[in-house]
Amino acid sequence: MPDTDTREVPDDPPPFLRTWNRIYGAVLIYLAATVAVLYWFTRAWQ
Amino acid sequence: MRPLDWIVLVVSLVSIVTYGLYRSRGSNTVDRYLLAGRTMPWYAMALSIMATQASAITFISTTGQSYVDGMRFVQAYFGLPIAMVIVSAILVPAFHRAKIYTAYEYLERRFDGKTRTLASIIFLCQRGLSAGLTIYAPAIVLSIILGWPERATTTLMGSVVVTYTVLGGIKAVTWSDVQQMCIIMLGLVVALVTVIVLLPAQVGFGDAVYLAGAAGRLNAVTTDFNWNDRFNIWSGLFGSTFLFLSYFGCDQSQVQRYLTGRSIAQSRLGLLFNAVAKIPMQFFVLFIGAMVFVFYLFIQPPVLFQHAELARIQPLAAFAPAQQDYNRAFEGRRQAALALVEARHARDAAGERRQLEAYRAAQSRMDAARVRAAGLVETSGGEKDFSDTNYIFLSFVTRYLPMGVVGMVIAVIFAATMSASSGEINSLATVSVVDIYRRYIHRRGSDHHYLMASRWATLFWGIYAVAFAGWGKKLGSLIVAVNVVGSLFYGSLLGCFVLAFGFRRVGGTATFIGMLAGEVAIFYAFLFGHVSYLWYNAIGCVVVVATALAITYLWPSSASATAGTPQPE
Repeated sequence: MPDTDTREVPDDPPPFLRTWNRIYGAVLIYLAATVAVLYWFTRAWQ
Repeated sequence: MRPLDWIVLVVSLVSIVTYGLYRSRGSNTVDRYLLAGRTMPWYAMALSIMATQASAITFISTTGQSYVDGMRFVQAYFGLPIAMVIVSAILVPAFHRAKIYTAYEYLERRFDGKTRTLASIIFLCQRGLSAGLTIYAPAIVLSIILGWPERATTTLMGSVVVTYTVLGGIKAVTWSDVQQMCIIMLGLVVALVTVIVLLPAQVGFGDAVYLAGAAGRLNAVTTDFNWNDRFNIWSGLFGSTFLFLSYFGCDQSQVQRYLTGRSIAQSRLGLLFNAVAKIPMQFFVLFIGAMVFVFYLFIQPPVLFQHAELARIQPLAAFAPAQQDYNRAFEGRRQAALALVEARHARDAAGERRQLEAYRAAQSRMDAARVRAAGLVETSGGEKDFSDTNYIFLSFVTRYLPMGVVGMVIAVIFAATMSASSGEINSLATVSVVDIYRRYIHRRGSDHHYLMASRWATLFWGIYAVAFAGWGKKLGSLIVAVNVVGSLFYGSLLGCFVLAFGFRRVGGTATFIGMLAGEVAIFYAFLFGHVSYLWYNAIGCVVVVATALAITYLWPSSASATAGTPQPE
C-alpha cells in the first residue's frame, strides 16, 4: 500500500463543447429545463 | 412465485455475481482491491454510481410513496445536478491529484489527524446505520414471497453480497453494478408497461394519467414554502443540493467510485451522466407508483398492504365495520372514476367538473377509511404510526404481474440491493483500514497485509449490516428513513470539506470544534425542531463553518497550524 503514488493524473478536455465550464453550464440549463417541464406537467394534469 | 419466476430470478442473480467476479480478476493489491488500480472507464463509474444510489428501497418505497403522496418526492433530486457540477469542478481534480484512497485522508493533509479521524468516525456511524437499512428492504420481498422470517432473508442476502465483495473488491462491485443497472432499467420498463396493460379496456393511458393527476398523484412540483414540508421545490433546489454535495463530496461510498476513474475527465463524465439521468429515472419510478394507484382504482386493494398486520387485526370486533366502510368507499371511488372517464370521453366540460368533484370526494373517503383501518393496528398494540408504504408495490407485483415478470421485478430489487449494499460495505472497509487501522494500529504493514485487512474488514461490515438490518422495520417509509439518517451526519462532513477548500486560514482545531458544534445543531433540529430533514445538511454545514470561522478570528493562534500545508486546487 504505497504512501505516495507518482503516476500522472491526466486532465483531458471533455469529448464535446470543448471546455468543462461549458459542460457545467449545459447541465445547469438542463436542470432548469427539467424543472420547467415538471412544473408544466404538474399544472397540466392537476 | 412460479417456476419461470424462479428461473428468471436465479439466472439474473448468478449472472450478476459471476460477471462481477470474472471482471475483478487480478485484484491482488490494495490499490486494485480498493480503487481498481484507477483504471475504470466513465460509463462503468456512471452506472455504478447510479446503481449504488438506487437501492431496493428506491423501488419498494418510492413507488409506495407515490401511491400515497404523489410524485413530489422527485423534487428531492433537484439539487443533484448542481451538486454534481460543484463536485466535478472542485473535488474531483483535488482528490485525484492528492492520490488518496479515502476522502478523509485528504483532511489530514489539509488539517490534522484528529479532524480526519472525526470525519472517518462520523462516516462509519452514518453509513453503518444505513447499511442495515439497505439489506432490510429486500428482506421484506423475500419474506412476503416465501413466508420466511426477515432474519433468514437478511442473512441470505448479506451472504451473497459479502461473498463477491470480499473476493473481488471494488472491481467486482463496479462491474456487478453495471449489470445490475441494466437489469434495473429493463425491469422498470417491463413493470410500467405491464401496469398499463392491466388497466380496464375502457381506460386508456391518457385516462390513467388524467385520473392520477385528478387525485393529486402527479404533483411533481409544489411551490408552497414550508420549513416542515419535506418535498417542495425550495427544499429540493437548496436543501437537497447540500444533501447531494455531502453525499458525493464527503461520503466514501460515492467518492470511492470516482476515485477509480482512469482520469479526471472520466470521473467527471461519470458524475455528470448521473446529474442528467437521475431525475428522469426517479420520475419514472414514481410514475410507476402513480400508475399502480390508478390500477387500484378499479381492482380493490387490501385495506392494509402488510398482510401480517392485516391478519392480526382481522379478528377484532372493530375490523368488520372498518372493512365494510372501506368496501363502500372503494366502490364509490370506482364508480366515480369510471364516470369521470366517461365525461372526459364525451367532452362534457360541465359534467367533467361535476364528476371531478365527486371523484376527489370519493378519494377522500377512501383515504379516511384506510386511516381508520390502520388505526386499529396501533390501538390493538401494534406499531405506533403504522405505515405500509413499503408493501404497496410488492403486494401489487406478487398478486397481479404475469409469470416471468414477477421474477424479473424481484431480480431488480435484489440487484439494486446488492449494488447499494456492496458499495456501502466496500467503502466502510476502506475507511476502517485506511483511516483507522493503517493510521493508528498498524502503520508499516506490507501491501499483502493491508489487502488481507481490507478483506477481513469487508467481512466484518457485511456481518454488521446483517445484524442491524432489523432496525429498519421501525422507521416507516424506508426511502425517507435512509435520507434522514444520512442527513443527521452529512452536514458536519460537508462543512468540514467547505472549510478545507474554501477557507485557507482555518486550522484543524477550529474545524474539529466546528464539526462537533455542527452535530449538536443537527441533533437539536432533529429532536426539537420542526424542520424537514433536507435542511439538516444546510444547518450543519453553516454551523460548522460559522463556528470554525469564529474560533479562527477570535483566537488567531488556532489558525494555521496548517498555513504551510499544500492547498487543494
